[in-house]
Formats: sequence, structure tokens, C-alpha cells
Amino acid sequence: MPALRNRAVFEVARGIKAFLGFEVGLTRGLAPSAPGGEAGRPRQETEESKDGGPGGMDPGKIVWIFGTGRSGSTWLMNMMAEMPRTGFWNEPKVGNLFGRFHEGAQVGERNSANFILGEPAREGWVALIRNFVLGSIVHRRPRIGPGSYLIVKEPNASVGARLLMEALPESRMVFLVRDPRDVVASALDAMHKGSWLFERRSRGKEDRESLADADPDEAVKRRARTYRRDIGHAKEAFEAHAGRKALVRYEDLRREPLETLRRVYEGLRIPFEEDDLRAAVEKHAWESIPEEEKGPGKELRKASPGGWRDDLTPEQVRVVEEITGPLLREFYP
Amino acid sequence: MPALRKRAVFEVGWGIRAFLGFEAGLTRGEAPLPVDGDAERIRLQVTEKEREIRILRKKTSANGVRAGGVDPDKIVWIFGVARVGSTWLASMMGETEGHTVWNEPRVGSLFGDFYYGRGTHRGGRHAILGGADEKRSKAIRAFILAAAEAKFGRMVDGGYLVIKEPNGSNGAPLLARTLPESRVIFLVRDPRDVVSSGLGAALEGGWYAEARKRRGTPKQQSPAEVVEARAKRYVEYIGKSREAYEAHEGPKTLVKYEELRADTPGTMKRIYSDLGVAVGEEEIARAVREHSWENIPEEEKGPDRFYRKATPGGWREDLTPEQVQTVERITAPLLEEFYPG
Repeated sequence: MPALRNRAVFEVARGIKAFLGFEVGLTRGLAPSAPGGEAGRPRQETEESKDGGPGGMDPGKIVWIFGTGRSGSTWLMNMMAEMPRTGFWNEPKVGNLFGRFHEGAQVGERNSANFILGEPAREGWVALIRNFVLGSIVHRRPRIGPGSYLIVKEPNASVGARLLMEALPESRMVFLVRDPRDVVASALDAMHKGSWLFERRSRGKEDRESLADADPDEAVKRRARTYRRDIGHAKEAFEAHAGRKALVRYEDLRREPLETLRRVYEGLRIPFEEDDLRAAVEKHAWESIPEEEKGPGKELRKASPGGWRDDLTPEQVRVVEEITGPLLREFYP
Repeated sequence: MPALRKRAVFEVGWGIRAFLGFEAGLTRGEAPLPVDGDAERIRLQVTEKEREIRILRKKTSANGVRAGGVDPDKIVWIFGVARVGSTWLASMMGETEGHTVWNEPRVGSLFGDFYYGRGTHRGGRHAILGGADEKRSKAIRAFILAAAEAKFGRMVDGGYLVIKEPNGSNGAPLLARTLPESRVIFLVRDPRDVVSSGLGAALEGGWYAEARKRRGTPKQQSPAEVVEARAKRYVEYIGKSREAYEAHEGPKTLVKYEELRADTPGTMKRIYSDLGVAVGEEEIARAVREHSWENIPEEEKGPDRFYRKATPGGWREDLTPEQVQTVERITAPLLEEFYPG
């Protein structure tokens, strides 16, 4: 901290302010950053901040969406991607690449300095993950320039949320949560034979069986565990992230999309024009989607919070509530 | 925004910096805010990471084509599977002047588990390792070289970096493709001996079972389960090592453990010759002597120890006929290829 920091702001004419600042000090290690009004404002694009090199991605303009599948992340991403100078990256699963491997490592490996993600060298490999992500954006999303925001939708890779936020602490995070009973009901519908998800995963595997058809209770149990894992990891990352972030409940987004999206942008401290926000919400409103693209077995199913009451059996509801108990009580008391 | 903002930071002593800042300006609306606590903390973290990355960048070019201390064409991979003698081979190579060993980073598994493990990760232009080989290789290459440089740059200093990666060989094709100028050793051993060695380690009292217990993973598999799991692992890891070896255009060599046991100096000489690495006969002889089976203290050797028996064909005494049948059934194509008859 500076030994001396003084700052004066005074109005010199109507609506015009002058300011004068001065600081001086001694420090061990890094000097504190210059004051300059970055709090609450987008990070300045300096050569230093353009980690991807010239034409690279400003890490401060990356917005991660973590949570779990079937929680409305595609809808949220689509709306955010409508905003000016905003691109998107739909499920790169980079969180799974590093998160699953790190989580699955044995204790002995994690304690080894030789292991690629070993704790003794954590500082080093966290920097490597950062470089890997920023380099991959340059190679894979070349049109995303340093001036643009990049929405990275990663609900199914939340296992790596903590590592990614640690590697890119200046990036922004949306933690999207939805009632686990609705998430499971939606996933169960998608897993039936003939449904969109089953068909997508069955390409080239004609004899594939559907667990949702053969043993729906087991499918419910597994999906509830996945919810607990994904949301648990996303929550942990969200709480640890000291930077710009927003917690969103799908139900709020459905009930009041414009207000909720505005709150997201305020939480992320991204400047926006009200008209752009409104246009994005209107374009991706549930009512704007053609009827033939919606319904059971389709990716866009019913979007009705509380629909689980019609879709799950009482026993299935009990199982989901038991498995996801602490999270359910926290977010849906 | 300020019309004028100047800031100077200079080192006044070991680890101590002085700073002096001045800003002045006119603005419409609110004046820029001073930094808050969180932003300050993040900025410090970011600055530190940027500094680390700048250091890494100085050592590696932007696309990771070449690392300063770690030369990609002086990386030597040892692929295979656990219990093929890779520790022994790596120890002998590490004994050689100008060679440094990186013991099991498992970087191959980091990428291999993900890429080969679930098909969905490969597909689609959005997937982090999906799409064209070139994009994937660029990212993996930069990651590996930066990791190697950070860990071994000074130590290697232009010499050879031997990466012993038997337990990361499920990603061998990705690693070899990413670093086509690197050198590859494909170390293979009779699957029956590999399984037999693994079985001794994994059963109650064995070194691996004990290590698992210490790590808090006490689940004990039955011998039949161990045999089947080890045989399947052999197929996966030796299969991927073979794929990498065949596709690799750089210097490479195929080594059978049995040959290494039968004529260690001669086989080591051939390895270096195939890889195009100049090592004198005297030096080879010294490394071989230093790490000979006979030089390992007796108390470190035995059926349940890491150093077990090093006897090719020992499986005949160790495995039951049913276990032999299981291994031969599962590993049939590889067994036939490398150990016909």
C-alpha cells in the first residue's frame, strides 16, 4: 500500500469534474496498481492485458457460464451473444479437460512435483492453463478480438470451474442455477429413445439402449448426482471468485427476463444499452420460438418452472430431493 | 479518463520497489473511482500471472515452436505401460551425461483421457480438442513445452529431456504428433509378465496395494479382476504406444524388455543409435553397471516389492492357467505381433 495517496475531485463547471491524484510509497514484491477507476468498469485494453498477444483475447472480457446441463444456459448464452461486440463459445469442455483429470488424480500424484498438475508446482500449471485457454481462443475463435466479450458456456464442464477461475481471475462468471427437480425432469425427457439428446449421442451406435426407458429411477438418481457434482463445483468456484460475477436463477430469468438479464450485466459490470438488452430478450423469448421446435423430446421442451410436478413420480422427487438436499435448500428454500 | 497519468516503479533494493504516481484530468460525470479491495487483489494476481507468462514467453516463442532450455528435438519419450521396465530404462538414461529424466508427468493422460476417453469431446468445432489436428497440436505443444521449460529449462540447458510416460501412454499419439521432431522409445514386454508383475503388486501386501491403502483407496480387487483390468490396460496403453510409434516421423526405436534384460549394453547402444543420440560405450557400460539388477539391495527385491524378479517368462510360475488364458485372450493381437508362437 502507498505510504501516501491523495486524491481530490472538484466540480469546475456544471457536470464537469477535475481530479488530481498523487501517490508515493515503498513495497516488497509487486507495486500496487495505479488507481484509475477500474473498479466497476471494464478493464482497460492495454498491451499488457492482451494476453493472447496482438489481436488476442482480453481475459477480462471472458464471461463463463457455469452450472449444469438443462438449466437454461443455451438461452442465456444466446441472449448475451446478441449484445454488441460479443461472441460466444458453446461448450468447449475445457473445464472437463483439466477439472476431471485434476479431480481424478490420486493423492500421491497430486503431491508429486513431477505430476503435470501436482500441487508443489500449482502456480506454474495454473499459468499454463491460462495460456492454454487464451491460446485456444486465438486459434479457435479468431474473430473474437481484444475489444469483444466472449461468452463461454460451460454448464457440463463445471468440474473445472474452480481451476479456470483461478487461472483467469479477471474473467467474469455467471453461476446459473435451476431447481434440481426440473433439471432432472428435463434431462429424463431428453434421455428417452427418440429424444434429441439420445439421438445425438447414439450416432453410429444403433443398438444403444436408453437408461431412461429401461430403468427411469436409476436414470433419475444418476442425473441428480450429476447435478450435485456440477452445481457443487460451480458454487465453490463462484464463492472463491473475487472478481465480477452474477448468480442467476433460471426461474427468475423466466419470470422477468429483462430485469434479470440487466442484473446479470450489472453484476458482471459490463456496460450495456437498455435497447440492446431488450432486443436480445425479445429475440430469444420462448414465445418467439416456432411451436414445431418446442415440446417433449425436443431440446426446447416446456420451460415451465415447477413442471417436475407433472413429470416425475413421487419416488423420483424424493430421490432428487435427497441427493441434492443441501443445494435445494440453499437455492430453493 | 485522466488527461495525464504517469507512474514510475523502480527497484531500490533486493525485492523492494518504490513507486510514484500522478494523475490529473477533467471528466464529464463521475471521476474514475479509486481501486477497491477486490479489484486490487485480482489485479495483483493478474499482474503476477502476466509476469510468469512473460517469462515463459521469453523462453518459448508465441506458437511454442522452440523452447530455450528444452529443445523439442531433444525430448525423448518412453511409451509403453506400467511394469515394462521403464523405470530401469529411464534410470540408465538419466545416468548419462546431458540427460535429465522427467518421471511420469502423465501429460499424455491429461490429453489422452479426454480426447480418446469420450468421443463427444472430439467432435464439433467448438470442442477444446476438436476439429483440425493442427489446432489441437498447437495448443498441446505450447502447453508441454512451456511445462517442460518451466520445470527443467535450466537443468536441461540444451541437453536431452527423457520423459518417462508409461502411465500416460494412452495419449501417446497426441504427444508424438504434437512434437514430430521429438524422439520416441516404444518399450514393450510380454503381457503375461506385465500382468503377473502387476498382480503381485496389486494383491494384499503388494507394494501397489499398500500404496493405495496409504492414499485412502483401500478397495481390494480379486485376482481375477486385477488380471482382467491389467490385461485391458495393456491393450489400451501398448496399443496407443504402437500407434504413436508407427505414425512418428522423427527418430524412434522399438525395445523389448526381454532384449534389454538379455543384453543390456548392446540394447542400450542400439537405442541410442536408433535415436541418433551420441553416447560413448564407456558411458553406457557405466550406466548399465550402476543400475544392474545385481546392484539393487536384496531387501528391495521380492514378489511383493517394486523390484520383483526381472525374469522374462516368470509368468509361468506366477499365473494360473485360467489367468494366462484371460491375458492371452484379451491381448491376443498384440501378443501375436510382438511375441508370436
